Amino acid sequence: MASILIVEDDKDLNAAYKIILEGAKHRVKTAFNGLEALKILKTYTPDLILLDLLMPVMGGLELLENYHLKNHPNVRVLIFTNMENSPEVSKAYALGATRCIIKSWTAPQNLTKVVNDSLKETSKVTS
Amino acid sequence: MSDVKSHLYSSQQVINDVLFDSIGDGAVTTDEFGKITRINPTAEAIVGFSAKEAIGVWLPKLYAPFDDTGRQLPITERPMTHAFVTGQAISDHVNYRHKDGHLVRVALTVSPIMEGEKLVGSIQIFRDISTEYEIDKMKSDFISLASHQLRTPLSSVKTYSHMLLDGYMGQLNKPQIKALKTIISAANRMNETVSTLLNISRIESGKVIAERKLISVHKLFESVVEEHSLIASEKSINFKVNYPPTKVRLYSDSSVLKEVLGNLISNAIKYTPQSGMIVLSAKVPKKGNRLIVSVSDTGVGIPQESHSNIFSKFYRAENVIRQETSGIGLGLYLVKGLMDELGGKVWFKSEEDKGTIFYLSLPLRSRQRTKDISSGKIKSGTGRVRKTTAKSRIGVT
Repeated sequence: MASILIVEDDKDLNAAYKIILEGAKHRVKTAFNGLEALKILKTYTPDLILLDLLMPVMGGLELLENYHLKNHPNVRVLIFTNMENSPEVSKAYALGATRCIIKSWTAPQNLTKVVNDSLKETSKVTS
Repeated sequence: MSDVKSHLYSSQQVINDVLFDSIGDGAVTTDEFGKITRINPTAEAIVGFSAKEAIGVWLPKLYAPFDDTGRQLPITERPMTHAFVTGQAISDHVNYRHKDGHLVRVALTVSPIMEGEKLVGSIQIFRDISTEYEIDKMKSDFISLASHQLRTPLSSVKTYSHMLLDGYMGQLNKPQIKALKTIISAANRMNETVSTLLNISRIESGKVIAERKLISVHKLFESVVEEHSLIASEKSINFKVNYPPTKVRLYSDSSVLKEVLGNLISNAIKYTPQSGMIVLSAKVPKKGNRLIVSVSDTGVGIPQESHSNIFSKFYRAENVIRQETSGIGLGLYLVKGLMDELGGKVWFKSEEDKGTIFYLSLPLRSRQRTKDISSGKIKSGTGRVRKTTAKSRIGVT
């Protein structure tokens, strides 16, 4: 069981991921944009952040730029996006994201598997 | 020189001057040391330096190429260096810095001027493509955004359909399960179409950069097999894999290769009847440093009359149009384009109603320099290279 922060602006998907990951016995908190997530992260350190990239108010990359993963070496970041667009994805990796998967290709059982696999990996950012 | 000869020579010189100055693109010539010897009015207008200011100056002082980030290209990467070193013409897209400071995007060709075997100078012809570049960038941004917007509702459709199917909202009866599987299948098809269109758009605009590194062919196979074995089993297709030895490494881009193999295997599954067979194999021939991958099926095959068109855009063979209506004829066109990017080859053998084997030939190892050139679309035999600078990837997973 791990603690997970879902950052996804689409309310339907946010709710779906919460159901799926809680069904896999994880503790889940949710945010709907990067700014909301940053507020939560001030007092909460999850094992994994499931992060969308394109969101209103504050996107995923901006969140990573502000959160400084090197200060949180035990937090994995799993990018969950539909942007098969490398500049954003490459930048997310450069900022410490562990993995990136395409939302529209990922079925619930795969989401659980990828989350569990990511939790086993060591964070890419070293302090 | 006699008076007559001298007169003829100067007449020819006048004609040459008029021709040179009339070229609609920028034109600059240098001597063998790279000093500017001539410059036409279009070049003056594009970069802002007059002939008076430019002639006699070492070309890189006024025409240094910059990349999109404003970094001046090191001398080894400059088109003129390539032309001087190889003795071949080179085409490229770079930025020049205008006299007033702003960067100007140009498409240029630099050609060495040879007298027999001796290099005596160079000529570069270039045109301002700033506007086209901006439009192209807007188009790419639009396609990227559009594909994202199409996929967002698809993600919800798929996620909730799967959740229903997996029993998150209670148990379903058989007709309900069948209906959900139809919804998921349709959503997958739409997803594939969006991916294909996006990838083709990138290839056609020259914005795919294959990010090569050493990859395990064994692992690559495992990954594509995992993605396709379920769909194959739903049609009771025997999906066999002849794994290469685990030590076989390929210097290539795994995302691009996954896209290529995924397309070939999806086609094989789609066009192979129930209880057929698909075999994915790889071998390294004794001679040569290439890996040969094959995907064979016992499917409907490609009619002889369609062989020459099978890699064409939007082309679908008559027999598959009759059988399967969902394709749009872009899969093999994409495969061919991606293999070109990887410096590989694709070909096939097929017999109607018996099956098809697609072969891929890929270089096992490649030096970095070769990589840069091939990803920049070298056209063998012409010595013309076009580098791409925007960085897009295929099938990021």
